[in-house]
Amino acid sequence: MRWGMVIDLDKCTACQSCAVACKTENNVPFATPEQSERGHTIFWMDILTRVWGEYPRTKARFIPRPCMQCDSPPCVQVCPVGATYRRPDGIVAQNYDRCIGCKYCMVACPYGARSFNMGRPEEPETFRNYANPDGRVARRRVGIVEKCTFCFQRVDTAVARARAEGRPIKDGEVRTACAQTCTGGAIAFGDLDDPMSRVARLAESPRAFRLLDELGTKPKVLYLMEG
Amino acid sequence: MAMNRRAFLKVSSATGAALLVTGRPVPEGAQERGGPSGAADERWVPNVCLQCPAACGILVKVVDGRAVKIEGNPVHPINEGRLCPKGHIGLQLLYDPDRIKGPLKRVGERGEGKWETIGWDQAIGIVAKRLGELRGRGEPHTVVFMGGRYRGQMHALFGRFMQAYGTPNDVGHSSICADGSPIAHYLTQGIKSYLGYDWDNTNYILCFGGSFLEAWRPTTRLLRAYGHIRRERPVRGKLVHVDTRFSVTAAKADEWLAIRPGTDGALALGIAHVIVAEELYDKAFVAEHTFGFDDWVDDKTGAPHTGFKRLVLQDYPPPQVAEITGIPEATIVRIAREFAATRPAVAAGERGSSMQANGIFNRMAIHSLNALVGSIDAPGGVIVQRGPHFSDWPKLEPDPVAKAGLGMPRVDHAGTARFPLAGKVYQHMPEIFAGAGPYPVKALFLYYTNPLFSSPDIGRFYETIKRVPFIVDFTPFMSETAEYADLILPDHTYLERWQDDVIYPSLGYPVVGLRQPVVKPLYDTMNTGDALIKIARRMGGSVAQAFPWKNMEEVLKFRFKRIWEEGEGNLKAGSFEEFWAKLGREGVWYKKGYAFGEWDKVLRTPSKKFEFYSIALKKKLDELALKEVEKAREGGKESTPDAELEKILKGLKLTARGDGLYLPHYEPIRHVGDPKRYPLLLNTYKLITHAEGRGANAPWMLERLGVHVKQRWESWAELNPDTARELGIRDGDLIWIESSVGKLRTNAKLYPGARPDVVNIPFTLGHRAYGRYAKGRGANPNWILANEYDYLGGTAAFFSTRVRVSRA
Repeated sequence: MRWGMVIDLDKCTACQSCAVACKTENNVPFATPEQSERGHTIFWMDILTRVWGEYPRTKARFIPRPCMQCDSPPCVQVCPVGATYRRPDGIVAQNYDRCIGCKYCMVACPYGARSFNMGRPEEPETFRNYANPDGRVARRRVGIVEKCTFCFQRVDTAVARARAEGRPIKDGEVRTACAQTCTGGAIAFGDLDDPMSRVARLAESPRAFRLLDELGTKPKVLYLMEG
Repeated sequence: MAMNRRAFLKVSSATGAALLVTGRPVPEGAQERGGPSGAADERWVPNVCLQCPAACGILVKVVDGRAVKIEGNPVHPINEGRLCPKGHIGLQLLYDPDRIKGPLKRVGERGEGKWETIGWDQAIGIVAKRLGELRGRGEPHTVVFMGGRYRGQMHALFGRFMQAYGTPNDVGHSSICADGSPIAHYLTQGIKSYLGYDWDNTNYILCFGGSFLEAWRPTTRLLRAYGHIRRERPVRGKLVHVDTRFSVTAAKADEWLAIRPGTDGALALGIAHVIVAEELYDKAFVAEHTFGFDDWVDDKTGAPHTGFKRLVLQDYPPPQVAEITGIPEATIVRIAREFAATRPAVAAGERGSSMQANGIFNRMAIHSLNALVGSIDAPGGVIVQRGPHFSDWPKLEPDPVAKAGLGMPRVDHAGTARFPLAGKVYQHMPEIFAGAGPYPVKALFLYYTNPLFSSPDIGRFYETIKRVPFIVDFTPFMSETAEYADLILPDHTYLERWQDDVIYPSLGYPVVGLRQPVVKPLYDTMNTGDALIKIARRMGGSVAQAFPWKNMEEVLKFRFKRIWEEGEGNLKAGSFEEFWAKLGREGVWYKKGYAFGEWDKVLRTPSKKFEFYSIALKKKLDELALKEVEKAREGGKESTPDAELEKILKGLKLTARGDGLYLPHYEPIRHVGDPKRYPLLLNTYKLITHAEGRGANAPWMLERLGVHVKQRWESWAELNPDTARELGIRDGDLIWIESSVGKLRTNAKLYPGARPDVVNIPFTLGHRAYGRYAKGRGANPNWILANEYDYLGGTAAFFSTRVRVSRA
């Protein structure tokens, strides 16, 4: 079992629904204008944007960026306390109780996928109502680092259920919040070790590439080129 | 209504993956989140999103009475389980800390924000009394209803109220929305409505000024279709986008045609020229189903007429069109050949082409391309949305007072020689408030609309709305306009109320979703449907008799009865109660399948054909001219229809004459402001995070406001880097943008997607009210937009304002 994701940029609409769904699923706080100004936004799923060229030969690229869930994760290598670790199923997870907030992992991550909880989220009492009550995604404390977990709470629940029913988990049975809402149907999630899975088949596409592959991080998030 | 977790788990383990097939609304992946919340009461309740008029099905996860997650309803055909970013923010609206928590009566000055909390009984009483007094004086017609997002039965319910009460003044907001398209459809197909498009099966989309991936509707449907045509079928569909600005859609398109603003019609006709000249058009379709393509002779008078063919061949050769549009001749020729050779191909357009001073003819020209290639009511082409068969409303008997009121002319001049094809002219109301109408406005009701934020040149509204002696608003949020009301009767949010919602024209086949209370209403608010019924009943007499229902839920059950009786679609049931319970569980009723070739439903023009030459337009203008002749005669003057028509056309600022007027043609674009004083053109646009005017109070949207410029929480104006350099403006500088009607200050964003002669400002921010997150943040371009019209349709010309830019 090796969870992976394939994002087809040709189907991506740059709508940002993935980024918002992730926030609601994982209790990621929004940053106020002041926090945003200081760069203290937290997006487990973000959209990388690049616009270039001269009018009317302008070009742009939009790349949804979750944690790459590297098989050779630099963040794990540098974490001095073992708070960040690679699970047997490939998910790069984080033990929030262990994290000391040293931010080494943030420096090590070439994808900018990690965020530091700079300050307390500022939100009105009424907004507490919509918090996801699942204890596994309880809001992280100030002073520690957090990032995309491939919605491990969804994964674990589905795996446990399959196990209880004495069957292997089915391809497509579990989807991350971003994949679930993805309007263009661009995000696929599944087991890269299962050659019949959708992600494994898409990973074979001639359009497939990995971000900063040359660094040897071995991301389990793959992209399919546009056009 | 909804299923609790235990029951759901039982079913889910029994049937496994078959759940989705049988259509039970369980979001895929919902199971794994049944997890350890430890909640006794955990359910997924179907509802319908209201962030735009698409009417996407949603499922709301409710844990211990709190709504905690929104996902798309997988069985709802319009969004198939997906949601655009706006869909998620329902949670932040429901739990908005600044919602109106109960009926309010103004105690301070208008706009001062001083209110007294009152009870519902008193509030309903005040409205009923006031309305009763106006009726007592024989003035029911002086009551105006300005409405925006009416959904499902709400427009009919309000309409019924107006009928029973006696006012013709149903002033909807579509004249500031996108009425240009429905009017163009009316002229060519006889259908005054938006049309559907069979996106999934088309191979070529030629889109004029409609932000396919950001602002056009129905959002999630379009986004879903985009993904589908790209990689979910053997042939990858091509998207060619015509836009002044390099939008996200332009970026994702295969080809972007950076057109000169307001010249889309000319480009469409240039393309038509090539298709006709090279005989690439669908001859069978044109011969069988169109009128006015070839020249013809009038049967009665023997007068010769010019057809579309001759018009485009004579007037729109590519070199000339290149001159007008700025699109190279070779590109026009190539696109035309591609469009005609790739079947099915479809031409579409929205606000960027339709809400221009020449918008209706632009849209007619664009739509005529569909007729040329036979994409009218064909797979992969344009289709006509069918609606659900609701039970007929009970017959309504307006009393003599109401009859007299209904017989009065509309207050907004819609349908007159000033705005001949308009059904309503929303943005004209300030002049009416100021006394330019046929009679004064003595009471104003507002439903899901905020003219003090959303209209061009809003200053006019601020100046004049105070003259209306009685204003009632039904909004759940303290909008700019609500601050000027005398009385606020706050609605529930959409997650708290009973309402139906018929999808925005798109799929073709009928689909209607159901809103039901997902959580108990948080505050002392009331479903506006219920409030309206209560007001009617309190008034008594024929007005009360028109509303034999206790509340909205009863209205819905009454209207859905026929759908159950017909026994078609996804919900079959032995009894209505069973049907209703199923509807509550599924959240949607639909009847899949689209019957192509029902020409009587598709082509409803006088000729029963697609009219290149619009008989309806000719007839309307001739009628108005005759009326003017009569008026002149009554005033003791002799006049001729031709002379009066000429006067009308001058008033409408139309340049075409003769047959050309009734054919799709390019009217030179008009701008407001002296080009020497105001050298740049203002282009406004909508972001996907904008939620059509209502998303400015949702931090989740504000935090991701402009993905293409990486902007959060603040407004910006996009300037071409070269233009900015000439003006000495750097990225991030504060700048003034000034037009002939006002000026605003915002940050400059140097953006290579901005045309050198155009400044782009997105709509969404610049609120003076609307709660803590919206208020006092950013700039609203409506303050500097001149109130220009496409007079023919009474539609707002949103792209006609000239501006100048300077460092602040």
